[in-house]
Amino acid sequence: MKKYIALSFLMVLVALSGFAGGATEQGQGPVLIGMQGPITGAWAYEGQMAKQSCEIAAMLINQKGGILGGRQIQIVAEDDAGEPKTGALAATKMTGHKGVAASVSTYGSSICEPASNIYEKAKMVNIGYGVTAVRLTERGLKYFFRTCGRDDSQGLFFAEYVPQKFKARRIAIMHDNTAFGKGLAENTRDALKSLLDAGKVDIVYYDAVTPGEKDFRVPLTKMRETRPEVWYYTGYYAEAALLVTQAREIGITSPFVGGNAAINDEFIKIAGLEVAEGCYMTNEPLPGDLPSAQAAEFLKAYKDKYGEIPSSPWPVYAADAVNVIAHAIDKTGSTDGTVLADYLRDKVDGVQGITGQIGFTGKGDREGVPFYLYVVDGQGRIVISK
Amino acid sequence: MSAHLPVSLAAGLRRAGLPLVLALFAVYPFAAGAYFVDVGFFFGIYALLGLSLNIVLGEVGLYDLGHAGFYAIGAYTTAILNTRFGIPVLLLLPVSALAAGLFAYLVTSPVIHLRGDYLCIVTIGMGEIVRLALINNPFGLTGGPNGVYGIAAPSLGFWVLDSSREHYFLVWIVVGLAILALRRLQRSRIGRAWNCIREDEVAAQATGIDVRRHKLLAFVLGAVLAGVAGNLYAGKLMVVSPESFTFWESCLMFCIVLIGGMGSVPGVVIGAAAISLFPEIFRPFATYRMVVFGLAMILMMMFRPGGFWPRRRGGLEARDLLARLWRRHD
Amino acid sequence: MRVFLEQLINGLTIGSFYGLIALGYSMVYGVLKLINFAHGDFFALGSYLGYTLLVFASAVLTTHLGPWTGMLAAMAVAALSLALVGVLVERAAYRPIYPAGRLPAVVSALGASIIIQNLIMIVWGPRYQAYPASAIPNLRLEVGAFGFTALQLAILGISFALMAGLYFLIQKTTWGAAVRATALDRDTAALMGINFSRVIRFIFTLGPALGALTGVMVGMYYRQISFTMGWSYGLKAFTATILGGIGNIPGAMFGGLILGVVEMLASAYVSTAWKDVFVFLILILVLIFRPTGLFGEKVAEKV
Repeated sequence: MKKYIALSFLMVLVALSGFAGGATEQGQGPVLIGMQGPITGAWAYEGQMAKQSCEIAAMLINQKGGILGGRQIQIVAEDDAGEPKTGALAATKMTGHKGVAASVSTYGSSICEPASNIYEKAKMVNIGYGVTAVRLTERGLKYFFRTCGRDDSQGLFFAEYVPQKFKARRIAIMHDNTAFGKGLAENTRDALKSLLDAGKVDIVYYDAVTPGEKDFRVPLTKMRETRPEVWYYTGYYAEAALLVTQAREIGITSPFVGGNAAINDEFIKIAGLEVAEGCYMTNEPLPGDLPSAQAAEFLKAYKDKYGEIPSSPWPVYAADAVNVIAHAIDKTGSTDGTVLADYLRDKVDGVQGITGQIGFTGKGDREGVPFYLYVVDGQGRIVISK
Repeated sequence: MSAHLPVSLAAGLRRAGLPLVLALFAVYPFAAGAYFVDVGFFFGIYALLGLSLNIVLGEVGLYDLGHAGFYAIGAYTTAILNTRFGIPVLLLLPVSALAAGLFAYLVTSPVIHLRGDYLCIVTIGMGEIVRLALINNPFGLTGGPNGVYGIAAPSLGFWVLDSSREHYFLVWIVVGLAILALRRLQRSRIGRAWNCIREDEVAAQATGIDVRRHKLLAFVLGAVLAGVAGNLYAGKLMVVSPESFTFWESCLMFCIVLIGGMGSVPGVVIGAAAISLFPEIFRPFATYRMVVFGLAMILMMMFRPGGFWPRRRGGLEARDLLARLWRRHD
Repeated sequence: MRVFLEQLINGLTIGSFYGLIALGYSMVYGVLKLINFAHGDFFALGSYLGYTLLVFASAVLTTHLGPWTGMLAAMAVAALSLALVGVLVERAAYRPIYPAGRLPAVVSALGASIIIQNLIMIVWGPRYQAYPASAIPNLRLEVGAFGFTALQLAILGISFALMAGLYFLIQKTTWGAAVRATALDRDTAALMGINFSRVIRFIFTLGPALGALTGVMVGMYYRQISFTMGWSYGLKAFTATILGGIGNIPGAMFGGLILGVVEMLASAYVSTAWKDVFVFLILILVLIFRPTGLFGEKVAEKV
């Protein structure tokens, strides 16, 4: 008896909150731009920086007079906790939120996958800022774009630049079996194919470690015995810091090159300066290295509010997504998804963003993302290696 | 309970109870926004999963902490067969269920004789083996950590079920059918044999019940139902990846059965509600959300250890528990 | 050969961590039949407390007393704190649940685990923390053809000493006998005059304290700590407990060591990516042929 009442009450409660969730007025109020990211969960670090970056980008636009004749931009944030199911729910929530013109979504390719499908069905433009899996733009989606690069470009950069720079023949590739890490490792291996076929390089080690673990001495010892001349780790910074520390302890001396998630301030803090110095990384330009005037303005505003600039490249891609969406809305005079999608795909041209010129290919990829080889210097700064 | 209300009113409410609940379930997706209908969908999935584990844990009393493995097999079977061979998702529902059941049969046969806790660790191991195998992409089948994507939505001829509401109704119709089937099973010879095994395995054996066969049957049926849930999940999300089938998911299912009430079908549904809805309701607590959730679990076990809706009145009164709280053991 | 020995030491180091944590698990499990999911989080909490001490007292320790003293101090503080925490958790979260049976206790343990883990996250933050570099002793030694750090040897030494000490405690002293007796048959033990409450207090101080000590060692050895670190260590420890055999408390220790070595063999000679699969497969095979674990007693079931 009581249980029926309890259950009914529960359902009424949820239904009521369903009513409460989401209607806002339209017309002359602020223009809403959505932002989906891992604000909680394992990648909270990235998600929070991305949200802050979007808000700074919006603030800068508003300071300059807003868009569509003076309307202000407001960021609507949804947390997807870095998990596919929550990502799907967040996307559904966003598409149901009246007045949201487009969404900056998200960080993490396996979360973006179901989320972008939902945005596609709702005909809402969604721009990924931390999603590098190649296949995301191979699905023929009309409303999905990304301002960041792809794993194959990074793999290609590695293959073209690294073996030659270190004069290395024996290459070890290690990943962490995550969607990102494994994807980058596979793309790198594919990119090395021509060199492999020509007999110029050898992949002497190719295996995965388990993220979340701490002791990698066993696989590292195994790797050491293959005598690699350069070692590429495509996973994240937490494991990277442990790997390098332990590698040096057991006597691996070959240069360490991390993928673009492997080296950041956290890495240096955990590994310690002595170990971190001299570690390399293939990366898109870090926020501090971006040459444009927009970058300088953005970084100053961000630093004024939060005390330091973002420590990874992804948040600035999110900010640029806001910038390009705002530009598209302003130029087309519309917040309709289909109109915006067409504009972004075909007509957007010469938009100067924080990370350079923003343009998209027919598939929705960002045009022209450069890569550099970074190195940690003696003062613990991450600088472009000469 | 009935002492608080006049008898006739209590009886009237009880009779009105079930239709009222059914009406609420039917009306809900038309009253709430798409996001909340989706939450309702996942509530349904967890109800199915809870019911499937209930067969093993609730009815027979076997500690299964690897149930997510069967769920995964169902989901991936649907995913792989649909994306590679274009077989319609709805048709794959029985196929995935059978695949999960067959898998359960094959892996639990050699270990079914193990005693309680040993079986527990084996089920944990099985669950992890499934998950790790999925990540490592053997024979290029499972797509590795990315999983399998591009799964079609379920369809009946030309009618494609791809709206939140359609998925919601699909899952709850399946839950309804499952509940009917499970109730019948509970009252059948098999159901009673199961409960007998749970209460006292040796006595059950002594009365001539084939304990091994019944235990195996429970695992297989539990896996079959979990496989169904996997199929429905795949059809909704359109992508399956190993992150959705972790040991933590198995723990959540375990909690659903215990918080709802072991062996109790309505209890399990309530347990599923608690597990899937409460974290959403707790959002205002921000970072403390999970702490409150953990606290709720402990308090739940303290005051209603038989679950929200125990099969038989087995829970202790709160008074007695509090009295024991600071008393020394004897 | 040389590499194999090196790998063996690696495996034994990891295994000794598993073994020490498994000991705490096994005592609680043997006596109460409770899967204490929170035990992994005791280990994590100990590690964080050690970290906090080393950070705050870093000036004193590094300049005046040196990193070795720092490590011992951290271990002491962590162990004492967790001994207290263990008793508190048992009283608050487990004792009220015992009358309800085993399974509600498991849910309660899961709840306790969630609470502790998230409290750690709230207090210390979700980012990874690292034991300060200045707190880590920096000595390298060459022993024959191997190179080790003094820290590695010290930790191995301490771990084995602890395990030996605990083996002695459990097998040869009256306290240990009390615990074993209660694990074997609670009612008869009570009839023999063993005070159940005291046994509970004993296992819930010793177990978490051991876990905390291990946490500090892990913190010093790997330097990196995170609030989720208890989860996987807890699972491995539970596996080790079962591998060793329920009710066999020293068995859990050996179970841990064997687990570490098996993991090492799978990782080094098969594939690191598949190592956990092999570990679980081996576990299942062992249980098929020895259903009560490697060292479990064959206890007749009373009808």
